[in-house]
Amino acid sequence: MVQLTKFKLPKLSHRRFINFLMLARIEGYLLVILAIFMLLPCFVSMLYETESSVPFLIAVGITAGAGLGMCFLKPKNKDMGRREAILLTGLTWVVLSLFGMLPFILYGTHMSVTDAFFETMSAFTTTGVSILSTLDGVPKSILLWRCLMQWFGGLGILLFTLAVVPMLNSAGGLLLFNAEVTGITHDKLRPRVSNTAKGLWGMYIALTALLIILLSFSRMDFFDAICYGLSTMSTGGFATTDQGIVEFASNYVKVVLTIFMFLGGINFVLLFHALQGNVRNLFRNSVFKLYCWLVVFGYVALAIDSVMQGLYHNAEDLTVNPLFQCVSVISTTGISTPGFKSGGPLAIMVLFLFMSMGACSGSTSGGAKIDRFLVMIKFLKNEFYKIMHPSAVTTVILNGKGTTPGMIYKTLAFLIMYVLVVVISGAIVSLTGIPLGEAVFRSLESISNSGICDVPGGLSGSYAHLPALGKWVYAFVMLTGRLEIFTVLLVFTPGFWHR
Amino acid sequence: MKIIIAGAGEVGRHLAKMLSKENQDVTLIDQDQTRLDVIDATYNLMTWNGNTYSFSSLKDVGVSDTDLFIAVTPFETNNITSCAIAKSLGASKTVARIDNSEFLIARNGTILRDLGVDYLIYPENVAANEIAISLNHNWARYWGELHDGKLLLIGVKLHDQNLPILNCKIKDLPVTTHDFHIAAIKRRNETIIPNGDTEILPDDIVYFITTPPFIQEVRELCGKTKRVIKKVLIMGGSRIARRFCSLYQDKFHIKIIDKDMDKCERLATNFPNCEVVFGDGRDIEVLRENNIFQYDAFLAMTESSETNILACMTAKEFDVRKTVADVENLQFVSLAENLNIGTTINKKLLASGHIFKILLDTDQTNSRFLALADADVAEIQAHEGSKITKAPVRNLKLPYGMTLAGLIRGDEVRLIDGNTRIMPDDYVVLFTLQGTLEKIEKWFS
Repeated sequence: MVQLTKFKLPKLSHRRFINFLMLARIEGYLLVILAIFMLLPCFVSMLYETESSVPFLIAVGITAGAGLGMCFLKPKNKDMGRREAILLTGLTWVVLSLFGMLPFILYGTHMSVTDAFFETMSAFTTTGVSILSTLDGVPKSILLWRCLMQWFGGLGILLFTLAVVPMLNSAGGLLLFNAEVTGITHDKLRPRVSNTAKGLWGMYIALTALLIILLSFSRMDFFDAICYGLSTMSTGGFATTDQGIVEFASNYVKVVLTIFMFLGGINFVLLFHALQGNVRNLFRNSVFKLYCWLVVFGYVALAIDSVMQGLYHNAEDLTVNPLFQCVSVISTTGISTPGFKSGGPLAIMVLFLFMSMGACSGSTSGGAKIDRFLVMIKFLKNEFYKIMHPSAVTTVILNGKGTTPGMIYKTLAFLIMYVLVVVISGAIVSLTGIPLGEAVFRSLESISNSGICDVPGGLSGSYAHLPALGKWVYAFVMLTGRLEIFTVLLVFTPGFWHR
Repeated sequence: MKIIIAGAGEVGRHLAKMLSKENQDVTLIDQDQTRLDVIDATYNLMTWNGNTYSFSSLKDVGVSDTDLFIAVTPFETNNITSCAIAKSLGASKTVARIDNSEFLIARNGTILRDLGVDYLIYPENVAANEIAISLNHNWARYWGELHDGKLLLIGVKLHDQNLPILNCKIKDLPVTTHDFHIAAIKRRNETIIPNGDTEILPDDIVYFITTPPFIQEVRELCGKTKRVIKKVLIMGGSRIARRFCSLYQDKFHIKIIDKDMDKCERLATNFPNCEVVFGDGRDIEVLRENNIFQYDAFLAMTESSETNILACMTAKEFDVRKTVADVENLQFVSLAENLNIGTTINKKLLASGHIFKILLDTDQTNSRFLALADADVAEIQAHEGSKITKAPVRNLKLPYGMTLAGLIRGDEVRLIDGNTRIMPDDYVVLFTLQGTLEKIEKWFS
């Protein structure tokens, strides 16, 4: 019998500490993709704008040049371990922000580096806060670029790369997938990671296209429809004018946006199966059910609030508006309706809760994710029960499956870190003279990637007047929140760099 | 190809890893989430926590459009049930792992086929046969038979310093080389695909490819003598050992040492022709008491790879000619090979190799492969009008780093030399270094 097998053992001695060449090469691919995305607003600026679009082209050129240069690096071996995957994930978001901010610096708005980096990070992480105090006079190409970056970051930059770069269809690619996709467990669509990425991105593109088409039937012009389509599907929430959604505030637009924001908050793997016809699984999913109930709860609370505050003028204020507002907050999109600013304490409570919670894991939304809260609530319930019945054996059941203690520890550790990051970053920013309450609130806004400017109670406004330190801290917090804390913070622990 | 593997035991996990590296769509199912966690986080495949023989969980995992369903849980009845369900739900081919030789008998095979089991694998049976082959051809390090034994691949370690073929280049060998080819040479950890200028050095493992009539010639060339093995001492009554006993208890004179009294009693009942000894095989006194130096072969078959390797080294000290160790830890396999302990057996590799073959049978687009350390052995069909068929081999400017070994034309198998002209539809067996195969495939298409 001949032994027919191709299994080869990894060569132990050949393993480098960190395969930097390989990391650089993948960054190269990413920059090329970014440059291709950048071409789109560049065309807009060439076609519609009076300002010379040469600086914009230069930005594209720098990005493409750097990317192509790195693409041609030839790493000796192509394997990537967990260390590389984690480093690469964090690095990618920073590097892409560094190149993505070039149009802001060179063209139209001519921001400082701090402002541009903050704005870019806010876009990529789908936070949607802005340092621009007014959008009047901001060129359309820049507006489009902001929304495009949100859309790109919404489902995941690396996930997109996994779909288009065949080289990453390997164990290394899978580690990237795990490091970027949100949630306690990382559901896959198909066995090969590139097929999973293709499926998810395919659905994302299709949904966005559908949203843009639906929006273009309204009073919006096509450009606004595209921008709102991109920023809503990614649950980012960048606007195109100072008035925001008010300008187009027909009920039709609000309902369409509400539906798609809601979809953006569902676990995409679940949504994919549901769109394939497996709707029953969707309603069996306990996280999705809780998500629905929370939306209902938020809607009722906001409707009551608007009555109590005397904001009730017409039927809209009790039906569409509270629902829109509630979904906008829980999906961490952060588009607000006009009446919201003057909301009362009940509105603030809902806002605060929903913002920190976010929607389902594996979606484009931010926050700590409903999944984790569900695990925590069930775990706490068990703990209370055990005080009365010490010998009771309890498990936390999520979606019909038991969880391991390891998973619960991970969830609790995450939630603790979440609070710690908010408190510590808020404290640091308050050193610059910002009131502590506002600083902490903005931290929460950044880590949950919600970005709701002009909230009730006047807690938060534009970020334009923040000191530079505050902007850098918040940019960092946004990234920490988007990559679910550990991926980013791990790089700063000494253990990570120990050989 | 879409492949579902039911059972994340040692064999299942190994298969999943291997097939995932082969760019197949692999889904691994097991009831125990902890077994899946590590592999799920580090390999490019999907895992599924569920019952391997329940309709609903197999349906959920998408068995209906699966090309290959492999059931390798430790329980054969579960495996057969899983396969039957998978087949009824629409899987194209199913494989079940069994541990009962009755199913292998041809007349019993139809009942399983009717149930929906297409292929059977019996890892312990494969391993026992592998051991028997290495005992029968004990002068060779590696004995591979291609095409029902019409083409042989023999790896021999050259110990003897005074061999005529040592220290001379292949083109200057003092013998005619029409009857065999030197296909590859393994020198320490490096594998060389030789050309005419390559020298053969002492302690190389040389891989010959030849046809059965010339086996003796190759053996004499390497200075090896044929030794008939009669007395076999086995340490550890594991599943492989038991299978070996039941297959070969009449052919060899077998003695088994085991340190578990219950197991010993069962062994003695089941294999009345074998001697069974209660004792610890790691204990030199026990070995000496049982006259280890009188045995021709020593098989170390305990559950622990480390024990097996060390026990074989001890047996070598007692001048046992042939030792075979069961090494289940993959990382130890290559280490063990460098330790001069003769043949190593790895159940996982054998089982996955077997399934790989099934995979190749179902997937016609793949070149057939077997791997030999760092070298690939491929079997490629020459297509009509391909470059390789244009002229006799000596006139083709073939790239370096490849040996054309043999040729299969219809039922006929022969070696290739410079004058051979490859015809369309011939299968060519060739040796290359890893990673160069794509380049070579161009010659054939």
